[in-house]
Amino acid sequence: MSTVTDAPPLAPAPAPKERPPRKRRRLTPYWLLLPGILWLLVFFALPMVYQASTSVQTGSLEDGYQVTWHFATYWDAVADYWPQFLRSIVYAGAATVLCLVLGYPLAYLIAFRAGRWRNLILVLVIAPFFTSFLIRTLAWKTILADSGPVVGALNSLHVLDVTSWLGITAGDRVLATPLAVICGLTYNFLPFMILPLYTSLERIDGRLHEAAGDLYARPFTTFRKVTFPLSMPGVVSGTLLTFIPASGDYVNADLLGSTDTRMVGNVIQTQFLRILDYPTAAALSFVLMAGILAVVTLYIRKSGTEDLV
Amino acid sequence: MAPIRWLRRRLVVIAGLLTLGYLLLPNIVVTVFSFNNPKGRFNYEWQRFSTDAWTDPCGVADLCGSLSLSLQIAAWATLGATVLGTMIAFALVRYRFRARGAVNSLIFLPMAMPEVVMAASLLTLFLNLGAQLGFWTILIAHIMFCLSFVVTAVKARVMSMDPRLEQAAQDLYAGPAQTFLRVTLPIAAPGIAAGALLAFALSFDDFIITNFNAGSTVTFPMFVWGSAQRGTPVQINVIGTAMFLVAVLFVLAGMVISNRRNRQKAS
Amino acid sequence: MITVTTKDSSKNSTTKNGTDTGGGDVRLSGISKTYGSFTAVQPLDLTVPQGSFFALLGASGCGKTTTLRMIAGLEEPSSGTVSLGEQDVTNLPPYRRPVNTVFQSYALFPHLDIFENVAFGLRRRGIKSVKKQVGDMLDLVQLGEQARKKPHQLSGGQQQRVAVARALINSPKVLLLDEPLGALDLKLRRQMQLELKRIQTEVGITFVHVTHDQEEAMTMADTVAVMNAGRVEQLGSPADLYENPRSTFVANFLGTSNLIEAEVDTRNGDEIVLRAGGGKLVLPVARCSAPTTTGGKVLVGVRPEKISLTHADEAGEIPAGRNRITGTIADSSFIGVSTQYVIDSPVCPEFEVYAQNIDRDARLVPGAEVVLHWNPAHTFGLDAAQSLLAGTVDSAGVETVGPDEGAAA
Repeated sequence: MSTVTDAPPLAPAPAPKERPPRKRRRLTPYWLLLPGILWLLVFFALPMVYQASTSVQTGSLEDGYQVTWHFATYWDAVADYWPQFLRSIVYAGAATVLCLVLGYPLAYLIAFRAGRWRNLILVLVIAPFFTSFLIRTLAWKTILADSGPVVGALNSLHVLDVTSWLGITAGDRVLATPLAVICGLTYNFLPFMILPLYTSLERIDGRLHEAAGDLYARPFTTFRKVTFPLSMPGVVSGTLLTFIPASGDYVNADLLGSTDTRMVGNVIQTQFLRILDYPTAAALSFVLMAGILAVVTLYIRKSGTEDLV
Repeated sequence: MAPIRWLRRRLVVIAGLLTLGYLLLPNIVVTVFSFNNPKGRFNYEWQRFSTDAWTDPCGVADLCGSLSLSLQIAAWATLGATVLGTMIAFALVRYRFRARGAVNSLIFLPMAMPEVVMAASLLTLFLNLGAQLGFWTILIAHIMFCLSFVVTAVKARVMSMDPRLEQAAQDLYAGPAQTFLRVTLPIAAPGIAAGALLAFALSFDDFIITNFNAGSTVTFPMFVWGSAQRGTPVQINVIGTAMFLVAVLFVLAGMVISNRRNRQKAS
Repeated sequence: MITVTTKDSSKNSTTKNGTDTGGGDVRLSGISKTYGSFTAVQPLDLTVPQGSFFALLGASGCGKTTTLRMIAGLEEPSSGTVSLGEQDVTNLPPYRRPVNTVFQSYALFPHLDIFENVAFGLRRRGIKSVKKQVGDMLDLVQLGEQARKKPHQLSGGQQQRVAVARALINSPKVLLLDEPLGALDLKLRRQMQLELKRIQTEVGITFVHVTHDQEEAMTMADTVAVMNAGRVEQLGSPADLYENPRSTFVANFLGTSNLIEAEVDTRNGDEIVLRAGGGKLVLPVARCSAPTTTGGKVLVGVRPEKISLTHADEAGEIPAGRNRITGTIADSSFIGVSTQYVIDSPVCPEFEVYAQNIDRDARLVPGAEVVLHWNPAHTFGLDAAQSLLAGTVDSAGVETVGPDEGAAA
């Protein structure tokens, strides 16, 4: 039985002897964050500052560089290399669209139709990562070789005539053309599309399909009105994870392309590592970064998915 | 009509399998060409069957040296990124603190940044500081770009964890350290393992950032890149195939073991 | 500050309590909890005597779980102190308090088997040989066979017993139970209610039990504190709360009440005579918690099962001295042990009556004119300044709970 008293004043509570974890707990998150965040600040954020300052320096390798607020470097860089910028955006955009078109059926297959094969297919999507992507990209040189069966088939089907007319292949070759680069980019970043798509598709309750069917939606309408909208988070993060690295990539353009398919990544790499024109290289990568951040921000706003991380 | 309907029902499956074929085609080529005996320096055209490369995988100068360097760097980068990333993930999920938005952005930005930009700016820093390019600069760079991915993987796991489990541990006389060791860490382990695996794969396979910050040090991807210019030895196909097989077998073995364990438990 | 005084201080334990120095009592003095501008628990004084089975009952969001968590040390009170016996534990972290909790949805460690789950607390206190103790405890909750299974391999009822065993094995001074049966189906819940009651009697540890299920609270607890909006509305034994509610919230939240607005007519010794509609009702003074000035308003309440139903044709046979009301049957539903009628009467549009199915009068069908009558001693009076609907399912701010609570009465 209990009594609730008219609050007889308790004997004054003994002074709290220990109150240790409570105060200290307020500092815990900062200690946890400190090393990692410091690492990112010093080796990610600080380099950006250095690069920003490099991009407005003038001078030469021999005499050293000084900050002269020489913004003209930016104009020169854009004026000289706008075709490469344009190519980067077009190639990366095309690869992203292709990844979405190719990746969606596979992600859908894994999520809803694979049954007991689901894990095996997932492993097969991820396992190629462990073969160095450079080796795999080199394999495309063999696959798309001029005398190989793929090019032969495309030729006899007159597909290459169409792509030539579109300007993404030249003559009866695929290698060293934009098509080869786009094909390589698509291949390389496809898993980055499939995995987020799969994650968001897998979360969808299968009964929703039945419900939609029950409410007179044909399979394709079900997909358009129910499945696809619900997979939007996957679509958004998949397209970002594909577009961003693709737009800065220079490996595919180098291995599968020609001097006519050089992307902005190739220019930055050459300027930095071969020509040693640091201000131009820094300015170029700043323009690329600004462009991508703008695209990403706009895209995230538009699609209304703020919660990507 | 019947075949068309059959096809329409299986359209998704067929398209998906075609994509899977597209994804695996290069691996098949790499495997097949690991048994090639090429004429000349490049291994792009089929000549005749040979197992020479498989019997002598280190037969090319510097190949195995670069491979072991890559494995070393990947191991250390995984360790560093996993420890730092796990700490950040816990802070983000379990505590309220100021500057949360700023921390989130700092985690997100490296993932939203083309590698070439990070590579170039990090090189600018190292050049300005007069740092000696090599093992340490590569390791620093790898920890930096793996960190965010670890945070994301661990965060997802910790977020789905019932906070009452930790309260239950505290209620059962486990102090903060004990609670973390006995309850939090074991439950978060799958997320941490996933993050670590991702970090290992990313680090082992990284080329762009490494290429900028390696100086004269040669990792395995850089060796492959160099050989693409000078001549591709069959041995790189052997290594690539072996890595692929090891990964597949590893995962399949894990799956079989966990299946068997589940079945045992159920019985 | 709210102070609650039990009326029913005549029973066995008061004497014990009065002389007791409070060796193992849980004493909350002026504790409150605010989150920003939201007050979850209003300053509250409460004493739970050692060895009692105490229930905190209320709808979700009423502050009952917060109160429990403050006792456990999982929540820091914004003001006030928590004492166990003589010891002030307000500033002790949960792992230093001799208090254990059975969590809502159990919070069993998924990576440990049942044995290790139960042994967890012992091991943390540095006890090496736990085998015998854990074995005994698992036998007590009839789970000896399952020791090496993982929690997800057990049924809900078994998990619940593991949670109880895991807490009890530490012989805490107080066992806190946070909605421990909420996840179980109705039948299992009934069974576990009795089981928990048996365990409590056996081990003699103080149980503080949080629940939203009034039937559960009444079945198990010696004392129930009904909480609403961060305050204790009323506290007492289940029978006292049910028979003599002192607010509309308690009247409606515990079972069903018919409430009629009435006006005080005269006071007659121990009885108050009230006017409602055209008729008169009698209310014992002792059962009225409202001020009774002549002409003032009072809410008159009566439980549906106290009422007898007589067809209007036989109104003359009703003994004198009973409160009576006339009306028409609007609806009747047969539920086995009883028949529930809804009566449309001039004083109350939806008057509920539960009649035992002993001799069913075939004339009592919807549309029939009837007279409702009951012993005035079963009438209670409430302050008319409250909402008639407080504590009902329809009233705003009170969430309905599980699907199977409604019918329990």
